[in-house]
Amino acid sequence: MIRLSGDPTALFLPPDAPREQIEEYREKLGFNRPIYVQYGDFMVNAVQGDFGQSLRSREDALPLVLDRLPATFQLAISALVLSLLISIPLGVLSAFRRNSIFDRIAVAFTVLGQAVPSFWLGLLLIYFFAAQLNMLPSGGAGSITHLILPMVTLAAYSVARFTRFTRSTMLDVLRKDYIRTAKASGVPTLRLIGRYALKNSLIPIITLVALDLGTLLGGAVITEVVFAWPGIGRLLMQSLMNRDFPIVLAGVFIIALIYAVINFIADVLYAYVNPQIRVK
Amino acid sequence: MRKNSLVLLVLSLLLILSGCTEGTAGTSNSDGDGDSSTSTKDSLVIAFEADAGTLIANSDVNYVTDTQIRNIYDPLIDRDGQSGEFVPVLAEEWKNVDELTWHLTLKEGVKFHNGADFDANSVKYSIDYILDDANQSFYKSRWVDVEEVKVVSPFEVEIKTSKPFPSLIQRITEDLLIMEPGYVEEVGTDEAAKKPIGTGAYKFVEWSRDNYLKLEANEDYWKGTPEIKKLEFRYIPEFSSRLSAFLSNEVDMFKNIPVDSVGKIESDDDSKVEKVPSARINYLALNTFYDGPLKDEKVRQALNHAVDVDELIEAVLNGNGTKMTGPLAVINTGYIETKGYEFDPEKAKSLLKEAGYEPESLTLTLDTPNGRYPMDTQVAQAIAAQLQRIGVKVNVQVNEWGAHLEKIRNREMKDMFILGWGPAFDPQSTIENLFTEVAPYSGFYDEDIEAKIYETNALFDEEKRFNGYAELQNALVEKAAWVPLWQQADLYAVRKDLNFKPRVDEKIQAFEMSWN
Repeated sequence: MIRLSGDPTALFLPPDAPREQIEEYREKLGFNRPIYVQYGDFMVNAVQGDFGQSLRSREDALPLVLDRLPATFQLAISALVLSLLISIPLGVLSAFRRNSIFDRIAVAFTVLGQAVPSFWLGLLLIYFFAAQLNMLPSGGAGSITHLILPMVTLAAYSVARFTRFTRSTMLDVLRKDYIRTAKASGVPTLRLIGRYALKNSLIPIITLVALDLGTLLGGAVITEVVFAWPGIGRLLMQSLMNRDFPIVLAGVFIIALIYAVINFIADVLYAYVNPQIRVK
Repeated sequence: MRKNSLVLLVLSLLLILSGCTEGTAGTSNSDGDGDSSTSTKDSLVIAFEADAGTLIANSDVNYVTDTQIRNIYDPLIDRDGQSGEFVPVLAEEWKNVDELTWHLTLKEGVKFHNGADFDANSVKYSIDYILDDANQSFYKSRWVDVEEVKVVSPFEVEIKTSKPFPSLIQRITEDLLIMEPGYVEEVGTDEAAKKPIGTGAYKFVEWSRDNYLKLEANEDYWKGTPEIKKLEFRYIPEFSSRLSAFLSNEVDMFKNIPVDSVGKIESDDDSKVEKVPSARINYLALNTFYDGPLKDEKVRQALNHAVDVDELIEAVLNGNGTKMTGPLAVINTGYIETKGYEFDPEKAKSLLKEAGYEPESLTLTLDTPNGRYPMDTQVAQAIAAQLQRIGVKVNVQVNEWGAHLEKIRNREMKDMFILGWGPAFDPQSTIENLFTEVAPYSGFYDEDIEAKIYETNALFDEEKRFNGYAELQNALVEKAAWVPLWQQADLYAVRKDLNFKPRVDEKIQAFEMSWN
């Protein structure tokens, strides 16, 4: 597994290193052992939280990854919040005013948002807001202004997904009998949407948010690279290029763990919004 | 029910807030770097594509790491930025006592950033650091012939080698940076790798991984006070983002402009492009280890005649390259002018026929990395087109860099491949590491040439050595060991009012720069 895409020693030693030296390093790093031994060793250490040392900087892999976690969280969560703030009202409104001009525009907008590659969108934003208008920094991290462009880039895709999803679940719910009953009994529109319709469409939305947050955390690679954001995605990308496998493995492990935790939280939240699901 | 939605609202608000605080908790001081107040400007921001691997000296051979920490640590010997000749830094003099012994006299009165004195012990410690297995230095492979470093007096050291090691001075220049033994011992290598202490022009301030490295001027620097007071390296992996950051004044300079973006920077009013032929050479390797037509000298000569290097430089590199005719670049200390193969497709065809090949029946493979050297893939495709003109078919195989390098090391390459080599200042490290049997990087091997290489390497007499390498260069050209291409041009994007002269060794020394 560690050696799937090549021998890391080739990239780290100077090009004029003699063959004995290369062998010595391979032996030191354990690359000369049979693959199954390396794999077994890795597994035994990994369950104890030891992913080995970065091949390049000789630091422990896990802390290196954990160091980058806050930055990635900050980006992913702010992007998530931004997209929820935009997409839920948008989705509800376009469902409620189905086939109106507003609905059409919203649908067109969401299709566009999903179709635009984040790489391109990111560069475009940098070009306009950083290079042309000089309003925002083009990359890096440090202040709230650094956050805006990558957050918008990352949110663009989620906004599109959430809006479409909110719209379709709302449409389903609006067709339900109890909504008709409520409407017939003269419940005010706002209350109808907020209390009866939206709340009942929350479960699928929560599922989607949980899934998306996982994607945002792990899949922010491109956005992080374009905006020089010092997060996990970028570390993984760079380590992959350098064949620094301990870091890659630790990173993938952490992301998988977060994914599982988020989905667990989502399950708990179901029970919260829908009493029927609660364990008796 | 209402309570529930309230909880949700509070939760999401909390999330937003958590985003804010982490963001603002970072540093917010020097964001006005890009201001137009030129008269008082004393800070400099340099963008790199990647972070330093570590900040401890003598460990990571990576260019990006070395270039940054050279602003913190001093070497014993440096190269002159323009001529490439050795100049004294912390070592005042060096001489060869006998074949196995070198004697260095050190500079007195230099202090480390923490106030400790620089002396012979620091030199011994720094070399021992490379040699000590526990430190797993990637430099070690180049230093194994060093047997012992002896402290003769507080400012004199003697280096003993286990066999004649004429290129030791070059190793000292390119690899060795001086660390403070007391500090490293006290805090340990892990800590010293995060907070470096050297004797250099800049002192460490802050390092935010994958984000930036901030340094400040060492006011007591022994060469004088640096004019640039605040130095920042910022890491921007994606080129387009780097370019935008530069054009919007967030960054003052960066190295390695793709040749097709040079015009964009030149046309910007606040910017300029600085350019120097580097000691990094690009070549088309002709693999004699692969069982194919290239084992035949005549075929290799034919390819040399068939590739039009001038056209490649003009059409593909927009003129950003300096043509080479032999194995060494002009900047190399052992360089002699060799008579290259002029572009002559007819001669190429007849040479192929002499070797018993019909050009039309020949199909060759050409491997190239993608993005490692300027326009590498495009160069490979252009070479394929040129060979097509004499009838030879070429399949271009594009590899990711790591895979390309591994294919070369494992000798899995077929007929030809594109590779670069550098910095190539001295003849031994270039010729030995490229044209002996154990060295895979040129794919060329010839028994007589190898014997001559080892014979010349062991020579200590300067003149005999020079002549030996001169003969070798002629022999390598005659046997058409490869198709020499060019010295890469190092291209720097620089603010117009920054005084900066690119160095031939690609190092970026803020001490040598100032604002107008």
